[in-house]
Amino acid sequence: MYVLTEYIVRGIQAGSIYGLLALPMSLLFATAGTIDFAVGAYALLAAAVATIVAGPLGIAIAIVAAISAAAAMGVIFLVLTRTGTRDHIVFALASFGLAVAIASFILWQFGTQAFVRASFSQFWSLGGIRISPQGVINLGLGALVTLLLYLLLYWSDLGRMMRAAAANPTGAELAGIPVARIQFGTYLAGGLLGGLAGIMILYSAGLDFTASLSLTLGGFGAAIIFGITSPLRCLLGGVAMGVAEALAAGYTSGMVTAMVPFLFVLIVLSVSNIGGGAMAGDRP
Amino acid sequence: MRRLVSLVLSAVAAAVLSSAAALSAEAVKIGVVLSLSGPAAVFGIPERDAIQVAMDKLKADGKLKQPIELVIYDDKTNPTEAARMVTQAINNDKVVAIIGPGTGGNILAAGPLALRMQVPLLGPAGTMAITDRKNEFYPWVFRVAPSDRVDVKVILEDMAKSKAKKIGVFFQEDAYGKTGVDFAKEIGPTLGMEVVETVSAPYTATDLTAQATRLRNAGVEAVFLQVSISSLGASFVKAANQVGLSAAAYANAGLAQRSFAESVGGDVDGLRVLSIGNLPYDPSDGEAELAKLLKQAGKVPQGWGELVGTNGLMTVVAAVNAQGDKEITGVSMRDTIEGLCGYPAFARGKPCFSKDSHDGWAEDSLVITELRNKELRTRR
Amino acid sequence: MRGLTSRPNTMIVLGLAIASVALAARDPVWTDTWVIVGVYVLIALSTGISYGQAGILSMSQGAFAAVGGYTAAVSTLRFKLPPGVDLLIAAALPALLAYGLARVVTRLTALATALATLALGSVIEIGLRNMDNITGGYIGLAGIPGIGMIDTPLKYCALVWAMICVCVLMYENLVNSPFGRALNVIRHDRVRAQADGVNVPQLLSAAFAFSAAMAGSAGWLYAHYISYISPNSLDTQTSISALLMSVIGGSGIILGPLAGTVFLDVLVRHLPAQELQGMFYGGALILILILAPTGLLGLVPPLLAKFRANRGSRRTTKAARVKPEAAQ
Repeated sequence: MYVLTEYIVRGIQAGSIYGLLALPMSLLFATAGTIDFAVGAYALLAAAVATIVAGPLGIAIAIVAAISAAAAMGVIFLVLTRTGTRDHIVFALASFGLAVAIASFILWQFGTQAFVRASFSQFWSLGGIRISPQGVINLGLGALVTLLLYLLLYWSDLGRMMRAAAANPTGAELAGIPVARIQFGTYLAGGLLGGLAGIMILYSAGLDFTASLSLTLGGFGAAIIFGITSPLRCLLGGVAMGVAEALAAGYTSGMVTAMVPFLFVLIVLSVSNIGGGAMAGDRP
Repeated sequence: MRRLVSLVLSAVAAAVLSSAAALSAEAVKIGVVLSLSGPAAVFGIPERDAIQVAMDKLKADGKLKQPIELVIYDDKTNPTEAARMVTQAINNDKVVAIIGPGTGGNILAAGPLALRMQVPLLGPAGTMAITDRKNEFYPWVFRVAPSDRVDVKVILEDMAKSKAKKIGVFFQEDAYGKTGVDFAKEIGPTLGMEVVETVSAPYTATDLTAQATRLRNAGVEAVFLQVSISSLGASFVKAANQVGLSAAAYANAGLAQRSFAESVGGDVDGLRVLSIGNLPYDPSDGEAELAKLLKQAGKVPQGWGELVGTNGLMTVVAAVNAQGDKEITGVSMRDTIEGLCGYPAFARGKPCFSKDSHDGWAEDSLVITELRNKELRTRR
Repeated sequence: MRGLTSRPNTMIVLGLAIASVALAARDPVWTDTWVIVGVYVLIALSTGISYGQAGILSMSQGAFAAVGGYTAAVSTLRFKLPPGVDLLIAAALPALLAYGLARVVTRLTALATALATLALGSVIEIGLRNMDNITGGYIGLAGIPGIGMIDTPLKYCALVWAMICVCVLMYENLVNSPFGRALNVIRHDRVRAQADGVNVPQLLSAAFAFSAAMAGSAGWLYAHYISYISPNSLDTQTSISALLMSVIGGSGIILGPLAGTVFLDVLVRHLPAQELQGMFYGGALILILILAPTGLLGLVPPLLAKFRANRGSRRTTKAARVKPEAAQ
């Protein structure tokens, strides 16, 4: 029982990162109906920059870098809408192109080195289970961001506009809501959150230039488990995925552990009804 | 009239002589197909850099009996690309030997081409399968690094000295990791050690505390790391620290990289890492010379990639020099390499090939190092 | 030959195939490249069918091709099946997997379905990597024999491009058949299709399965040609490349994926190699998505229409000038 609890605790700690990556996924999916494949790349960029520039200044520059990259994606998005693209897939594909470009840029500038920083060497003990302060910070940060996002979405004017844009873009435009600007802002939020996640990973397990796509997929998996529509569900989804991975690593084989995020996606999609009435193969 | 004839004759003679001179001055082309992008680039790029600086030095010192020209290709750590690049090198550049491809899988993909077009491959990879006698292309593939089995044996022998009986293995989910853990399970019992638990993770895993916990709970007395991605190795060491896995750790040569030593925190001093020589930290004479060449070219020595890359180059050079002025073909290169035993190279150990053994390097090129102060120091 | 003239795409691709194979025959490197391009064209074509016809944006065609390739390897290496027979299994097995997935996810949005296929592709990849006894695990399987009489690269080149012609023919037939028309209705109005009595999930799944069979056959040829298959040979990267090629060429157009594959392959070849490649690849993709959203071949109909309009206006001006004279 103790062993099981320990795995669950570890999973919760690790899952907060997935949750943080899931938040921009759900926001963008709700406001623009597409996903940003480059979220993992923003995380990677932030981690790389924070490795080169030490201390709090490095973290600040790293976040700015991630947001800039996301701004580039936002601009691409706006240009694409101007040229009359209706297909959500095209936005997703463009973000994929950006993700590939960013990963290659990082390889070129920073080489194949690992991005990892030591954080705390002391550990706390929770009922005999050693917990790293960094893991607690990660979880706390994830919860804080989720709370802020929740407040933003449901208690502020901007949030109401965002929800309106998500529910009915045409109607929102007619009501005078700057839908395109909101969608651009959502991309920027993706940069911010992705960058934050990157910093958290930097101080926990570390990553290298090959990590961006799997981070994105992990974020998406976490986003859809409990429903892609609300921030709290994203955080819980991340935690659930972290716990599932920890349990799989603890009790089953490497093969099953590797499959966890993908099985999550498959199972959830099979039994859910994401997108409601519009179906694959339908007119938009 | 006579003057015209003699003029014409001397012109013809001059033409014939100059073209003969041009023919003998034509360089021997050697292909270099390495992983310069993708996951294996962390080894491929140092391999290529070292080959280039060593080649420049050999040319400057006039150590080549015939001029050699290198043609460099990137196989992108992908078997399809590797086959394509090898085809290109052989058909377009008419190379007579290829240093590479950089990974076991890529060598297996290129093997049939080497066989069909009769050009030998000198692979700097430890994967056992490349020199398997059952391969139809066996006569055309040579290994210019110690094999994975030799590596695992040497590091486990060191582990056995600590009298550990129950050991655990952490391996990365790819060919390197999987072969290592299989060998550990096979060789361990012969040294009195039993592998009681194995855990693994893919390259991009972000949290390894569950894996470390599992090893700790199994009560292992020593941990064997079969990893070649430094961020994965560093993550595991951190995780082990965090969950209280205090067993002594021994890592295979995959982690003998500067990026691993520098990214791991100070609280894991004493971690033993097998290495092929110790180029960055405790070089032998030959290795020191290579390190100097690299630094002059503005490159920082990373680990052993530079050494196995130059192993391939020095084998080629030895084979070319052994053939003197004769015309060099793929077949003649292969036959000559099979007769080489003991020739100059930057790495330690005595390289030796024969018709029956295409594995040129053995235990004498390996050292056990210990991580201290972010450096890998050779143990005496 | 009424049959052929009513199938313009097949005619075009047949001509293209014959010309290109003849050209490639002159240089061994071109031949080798053209075989690999052919394999990618087949996979991209299968993505095009899946998306253009069934509306399922598939990110798993690489995995289906890998299943086809491993099937070819295992059938010929372990079970010593005669060459050619393994093609049937290499096409059937991915089709089964695809049908199974499609029945479950066709009611979701296009993006969700796409991600479901990505997840399936990854699961297949992980499975193949770990079934050591069957698939050789991470190392893969080497020494795969050839396909009977097809033993030189040129013959493989001819074979793969013949397969492409057959696939385009089947694609064109599908589009003009009752099934194709039913798929068309589904694309425009699913409810209307259901009202017409079309079994929507079954038809969509069948189309997806067909595309998977095509990808499987591409993998079959790849395995026999390179004689080695590993988890890295045909993986998620391949699926994503096939998708890019299909979108860039024009996924709604039959020959779009073909154009996209050839274009991208040429582009990739002339880039400065190594680390910068990804930046150019991604940047090129974004540029093309902005400048030619319906794909490269999607630019053709408007250009043709403009051309015809110009010719038409010139004709009417001529007639207007002639008529008054004739009236006199």
